[in-house]
Amino acid sequence: MTKTILAVDDSGSLRQMLSFSLKAAGYGVIEAVDGQDGLNKAKQQTVDLVLTDQNMPGMDGLSLIRALRAMKNYQSVPILMLTTESGDDIKAMGRAAGANGWLVKPFDPARLTEVVKKLIG
Amino acid sequence: MSPHESHSGELMNAQVIRLLSGVSVHGDQHLAEVERDLVQMDVLLSEAIKKLCASFMAIHHAIDLQQETLKGMLSAEKAAPEQAARLEALREEIGQHVGAAVTGLQFQDMTSQLIGRMVQHLAGLRDVFGALGTNGSTDLPESGSEEMLAMLSHISDRVGARCTELAGTVRSTVNQRHMESGDIELF
Repeated sequence: MTKTILAVDDSGSLRQMLSFSLKAAGYGVIEAVDGQDGLNKAKQQTVDLVLTDQNMPGMDGLSLIRALRAMKNYQSVPILMLTTESGDDIKAMGRAAGANGWLVKPFDPARLTEVVKKLIG
Repeated sequence: MSPHESHSGELMNAQVIRLLSGVSVHGDQHLAEVERDLVQMDVLLSEAIKKLCASFMAIHHAIDLQQETLKGMLSAEKAAPEQAARLEALREEIGQHVGAAVTGLQFQDMTSQLIGRMVQHLAGLRDVFGALGTNGSTDLPESGSEEMLAMLSHISDRVGARCTELAGTVRSTVNQRHMESGDIELF
């Protein structure tokens, strides 16, 4: 069965590149334009992995992670941050919020799919 | 203070206020131009990337089809092993270029984030010039350096408040130094 990934980013080109890379690796992709949209889509369907940006209008990535971790069906779903932020403080905040990993933009498709495969097969 | 001293103090204040108002108007005009150009730059950059992404997807799709066709032709004609190996090597090479293109196309996102940040800071600066203009035209101190100091102090407070406000809302900066793909850390 195809594993589904929720890709949350306010940049259309980034979502397109994520979707392209993950679909080429055999995953299904649901796109969301910001944290709130991501949360709404995560409620509609439990996905296998969430990949989210941090800086987005409205609900940011950290808030989305906290909201997802508060939901019963998202307590063990892997969540990865994909962001331009690389400071230790924000990484620590991500970890505390419940992120499973931190990827700094720009991503390399081969390395991204390698990490995703490691987490969800 | 003699009436003469008081009068020259008033003249000096009026002159300072006129200068502040002038700085405010001209500064605001310059910043508005820069802001307009930055917004337009962001629009052009976004459009360029949108077109590049669309072309990239179309080229990738066409190459995939071409590879499949070649593979089919080679197997039908019982091609020499070296031809099949060459085709496989090309497929791998194309895959590497596709990966590099996907990484490269993401730099627009970071540039756009920086432009958004600059626009927010410019809006903050324009507000400062607005404060200078407002104080210069409506809250004119009639006389004395104390009133002038109070007015400048009021402007300084507004600038400070605006900076604090901006610090809470402005997007993070982008500190990308090396131009390869970013680090990955699993917790």
